[in-house]
Amino acid sequence: MTTQALAAPRRMADWARRAPLLPALLFMIVVTQLPFVATLVISFLQWNALDPKSRGFAGLDNYATVIVDPDLRSSVLSTIVLTVSVVLVSLVLGLGLALLLDKKFRGRGAVRTMLIAPFLVVPVAAALLWKHVLFNPEYGLFNGVLTWIWGLFGGATPPQPDWISSMPKIAIEASLVWQWTPFMMLILLAGLQSRPMDAIEAAKMDGATGWQVFRYLTLPHLRQYLELGGLLGSIYIVQNFDAVFTITSGGLGTANLPYTIYQTFFQAHDYGQASAAGVVVVIASIIIATFALRVVSSLLRNEVQS
Amino acid sequence: MTALTQVAPATAVRRRGAGRRQVLHWIAVHSFGLALGLVFTLPIVFVVLTAFMSDQQALTSDLWPRDWHPENFLTVFQKAPMLEYFANSMLYSLLATAFMLVSSVPAAYALSRLRWRGSNFAFMIVIAAMMLPPQVVAVPIYSMWANLGLTGTLWPLVVPYLLGDAFSIFLLRQFFVTVPQDYFDAARMDGCSEIQILYRVLVPMTKPGLAAAGLFTFLYTWNDYFGPLLYVGEKQDSWTLSLALASFRGMHQTQWNLTMAATVLVLVPVIVLFLFAQKSFVRGITFTGVKG
Repeated sequence: MTTQALAAPRRMADWARRAPLLPALLFMIVVTQLPFVATLVISFLQWNALDPKSRGFAGLDNYATVIVDPDLRSSVLSTIVLTVSVVLVSLVLGLGLALLLDKKFRGRGAVRTMLIAPFLVVPVAAALLWKHVLFNPEYGLFNGVLTWIWGLFGGATPPQPDWISSMPKIAIEASLVWQWTPFMMLILLAGLQSRPMDAIEAAKMDGATGWQVFRYLTLPHLRQYLELGGLLGSIYIVQNFDAVFTITSGGLGTANLPYTIYQTFFQAHDYGQASAAGVVVVIASIIIATFALRVVSSLLRNEVQS
Repeated sequence: MTALTQVAPATAVRRRGAGRRQVLHWIAVHSFGLALGLVFTLPIVFVVLTAFMSDQQALTSDLWPRDWHPENFLTVFQKAPMLEYFANSMLYSLLATAFMLVSSVPAAYALSRLRWRGSNFAFMIVIAAMMLPPQVVAVPIYSMWANLGLTGTLWPLVVPYLLGDAFSIFLLRQFFVTVPQDYFDAARMDGCSEIQILYRVLVPMTKPGLAAAGLFTFLYTWNDYFGPLLYVGEKQDSWTLSLALASFRGMHQTQWNLTMAATVLVLVPVIVLFLFAQKSFVRGITFTGVKG
């Protein structure tokens, strides 16, 4: 009885206290969600800025176009391939580097700073760097190195591949892996350094090998760090625009969904279709994120049990 | 006696063997570390070296400048209004960071400490907003700014931060939930209002969190290419450095030495910032998922 009688005024007081804070939050929710609702609405409209008179309800036409159009379908596929491959490769490389940096050696701080540097490079600059400094068939570093190696063995005609035309997707992926590996390394290094060292010492005393310690103690401990890296990496790589735009301008089958949306919006001025493609991006990234997280965590869980 | 003299050399040999293995291990770890460090850094080193080359040499596969041309860095400023672009980038990044702090700190506090019906749902929405690629909502937001006649200015880029930034709210919340409840109870007992609790108790205690959120916002906006391309791409006066960099080659034929010098100039502020704030940066990344 008494508690109930007290509850009402306290609730009033609570709300009076909260009142100044909630608007910020509610406003934020409205502001972030409203554009998406607007995108959803536009995705059902026929709305081309070049032909403003024919604006009207289009039903599922835009979605049908998105799904039927082979270019759009290939861009859905390349978004998935790009995201999954870059996240996985940079996680594996980042784990290797983190394990190395977890050891004490002279110059560790310097090596760590050197390794982080690629993550700090402005993405546009990184894409330019890969396109012109590394991949360029005439004066790029890769072909320069090939010439040098061939020269060492007395070969007269070293192969000088045009990297971007012959392997456009791998070229973009390589540049993104180079940028994201340091990020993964930082997360995993923090994970390694938060390991309970006494359990590891005890396992070593009991004669566990380095591999056993890694597999049964370190890897399960790193699970949440791997998931975190995978999640943050996926969020940002799904929306990657700079690398695709700069390295191939979306050509050679590398156009991903963000690029396609940009193109539909800015060059074709088809707002309805661009919005439909955007909604497809969201659905695709939700599916990828859920699926990837499940797979990773079930893999790790199996390892803990076996 | 005899037993002792026999044992001693044996352990010495074993120790020497272990020592050699340790040296080999040391060399292996160091050379592997050095090699990997080089693989990841060499592209950047090559950019810096190219920035010092002459126009002709930049078009060869030479690694080392034949003669050094530090004046390239000055030429960059003459060829393009780099200072103006630098000012635009700074304006974008600093305003966005300041606006983010003003708006996201109260929102994160509301999410972390106030329990109300639907607070979990609100948190889910923040996470959903964080995962929403900016290109998806570009169409309605762009048409809104175009109707307001503000495309071509930096306003469409910075104003959204005044309304809260999902990733920052999420990051700050993860820091805020680690503060023990006792502090809040004590402050409430002393009659502090929620706003006083936020700014007198919580903010001073979570400065590393604020630093991390600020750093991320600065880095994201400094690096941003899609936003500036969308809103100010057609108005050169409002270009940011990332836009300027991408079109540097188009503007003046292909002068790689100058493009690379411009790249170095864009990199420097970020690297300086990072060296000062390395710790909060790393803590910020790991805090997002692990605590709370």
